Amino acid sequence: MTATTMRAAGTAAQGEKQPRVQNTGKRLGAVAVRLGAIATFALILIYFALFAPGFLSSFNLINVVEQSAILGVLAFGMAVVIIGGGSNVTEGGIDLSIAANMGLCAAVFATVLQAGYPDAVALLAAIACGVAVGALNAIAVVGLGILPLLASLAVMNIAAGAELTLTQNTVVGAASPLLAFLVSGSFLGISALAWCLILFSAIMLVFIHKTTFGLRLYAVGGHPEAARAAGINVPLHVGFTYLFSGFCAAIASVLAVSRLSASTPGSGEMLLSVLAAALLGTVFSRRLVPTIGGTLLSVLFIGFLANGFQLLNVSSYWVNGVQGALILLVVAVTSFARGPEASR
Amino acid sequence: MSNKQSRSHGILKTAAIALAAACSLQFVLSAAQAQELSLKGKRIGVSIVGTDHYWDLMAFRGIQDEIKALGGEAIALDAGRKDQQQIAQLQTLIAQKPDAIVEVLGNLEVLNPWLAKIREADIPLFTVDTATPHAINNTTSNNYNIGAEIALQMVADMGGKGNVLVFNGFYSVPVCKIRYDQMKYVLGSFPDVKIVEPELRDVIPNTVQAAYSNITDMLTKSPEKGSLNAVWACWDVPQIGATQAAEAAGRQELKTYGIDGSPEVIKMVMDAKSPAAAVAAQQPYEIGKTSVQNVAKYLAGQKVPPFTFVPAVLINKENAAVTGKPFLEAAEKAGVK
Repeated sequence: MTATTMRAAGTAAQGEKQPRVQNTGKRLGAVAVRLGAIATFALILIYFALFAPGFLSSFNLINVVEQSAILGVLAFGMAVVIIGGGSNVTEGGIDLSIAANMGLCAAVFATVLQAGYPDAVALLAAIACGVAVGALNAIAVVGLGILPLLASLAVMNIAAGAELTLTQNTVVGAASPLLAFLVSGSFLGISALAWCLILFSAIMLVFIHKTTFGLRLYAVGGHPEAARAAGINVPLHVGFTYLFSGFCAAIASVLAVSRLSASTPGSGEMLLSVLAAALLGTVFSRRLVPTIGGTLLSVLFIGFLANGFQLLNVSSYWVNGVQGALILLVVAVTSFARGPEASR
Repeated sequence: MSNKQSRSHGILKTAAIALAAACSLQFVLSAAQAQELSLKGKRIGVSIVGTDHYWDLMAFRGIQDEIKALGGEAIALDAGRKDQQQIAQLQTLIAQKPDAIVEVLGNLEVLNPWLAKIREADIPLFTVDTATPHAINNTTSNNYNIGAEIALQMVADMGGKGNVLVFNGFYSVPVCKIRYDQMKYVLGSFPDVKIVEPELRDVIPNTVQAAYSNITDMLTKSPEKGSLNAVWACWDVPQIGATQAAEAAGRQELKTYGIDGSPEVIKMVMDAKSPAAAVAAQQPYEIGKTSVQNVAKYLAGQKVPPFTFVPAVLINKENAAVTGKPFLEAAEKAGVK
């Protein structure tokens, strides 16, 4: 072996060693991030439990679950899009239209009910509407290859515009047996809306974490090239995530109409909370990807945040700020933990 | 000094003493009443749909300041114009079991089922500017009067004929419904005043911008001067946009009318050249305070009427210099310009 080749071999060995050190550092960083975030969540909740009067009462806890139902269903939709499209914040899967889509579905649902049709027809109309908006996203992202961030931003405006056209920016009142059941029904002391979140979470848990389809979705989002090489139809899976998020928007819209006895303007405002829930949810997974359990926990955390502040009589103005700060923290820290190629 | 004189002197003296006694009695009575009004040790929930407008903010402040002044603790909740958030806040508030709840504005259709729940939970409910059967008392301006007065001013300025552009985006808000219905009632007597169909829709947020572009579009559609004579809105934020649009288009003959009395609009009415013709100015801060006084009276076992009206003032081009001033001073004192 000549001196040159030896030197070359040495450089190569060094080159191999460096990424390993980087990888370990990154992994440690990721663990620190996860534990830190989970500890923050826990500390805040413990603080509320100790100092916010009535925080731990079963009545209050069920209230928060009930209040989180709409956000929860939307956040699951967003989580599935991020799982299938990859969790890169700029280029990965994201559905900015989901909250506006919910507003449009709610308007459709309330308008169809007000026209005198039964629940089943209104429900089908809302779902058809939600999935149609989802299809628009799917065509833009998969068919036309537009960045999901931009595609869904455009679709968000289409949905918001359609809602305004349909409702003329007014409140559309709605009453039906289904809505009455959702508002006042309860089983085992738990309200119908809270049950909706519990059942939907259970279904999602099985669907995403226990089926081959769920596994493939993670593969598609994590490594589209590898997934394609393994014979998975990547565009089909990605397209499906947008249809599914549209479906979630429709389900959430029915819950929203039941809670407000009407479809009201301004649903788009929920987008920040939905994004917060889906992004915060990633800290509960080892690979910093959205999971159903993680998403559910962060949805409940956001609910508890508003609830705890109110019980402590801290100004409600703080809630938005804290929520925004948490998103910033999680996005910043997860991009750091994933390394430069993820935040690119 | 004659006898007669001295007798009349005596009568005067007695009368004076009696008056003084009556006055002091009155004083003692009002002092006692004022003493009775206390919220010491009481927690009062305050829920408002949003505080992005002058009226809402001032009412919200008036309520909180008076609760503090009476020694109570306010649980103040601003829903930031998000119906879902307001409902969640009310739900948590019910669980907190405050001594009373004051609810300010919002969509009645959305709120009513939850206001009913407040009463089911045996929490006394008071509302500000929100007429609902579930409230013990609603403190507000006399919107029937306001609606008729501003409409009559508009008809008078128009000389009893012409075309009116109407913003009607918030008919589901109770006070807007009253004001709109009163305006229609007044117009019933003036068949030559026509509302341009379809009516315009005011929106939240971006109220001023949307009103500006709506009115600009309408002026472009009817380019001859004098074809449109007035703009009516059930509040005064659309009036700002409408006034600016009329000014920008050089169509000063299009007069604008609104209700609430935001400082910005009062200044416009004070400006002789501005198309803003009149605004019915309410006293939101006083309304908030009065509502809390009603809460205190009720909790002290006194009788409270189902509604309390706080006076409003019609500010028009003729009286603006005098009537507008105290409103602007009050706004300045509160740090809102």
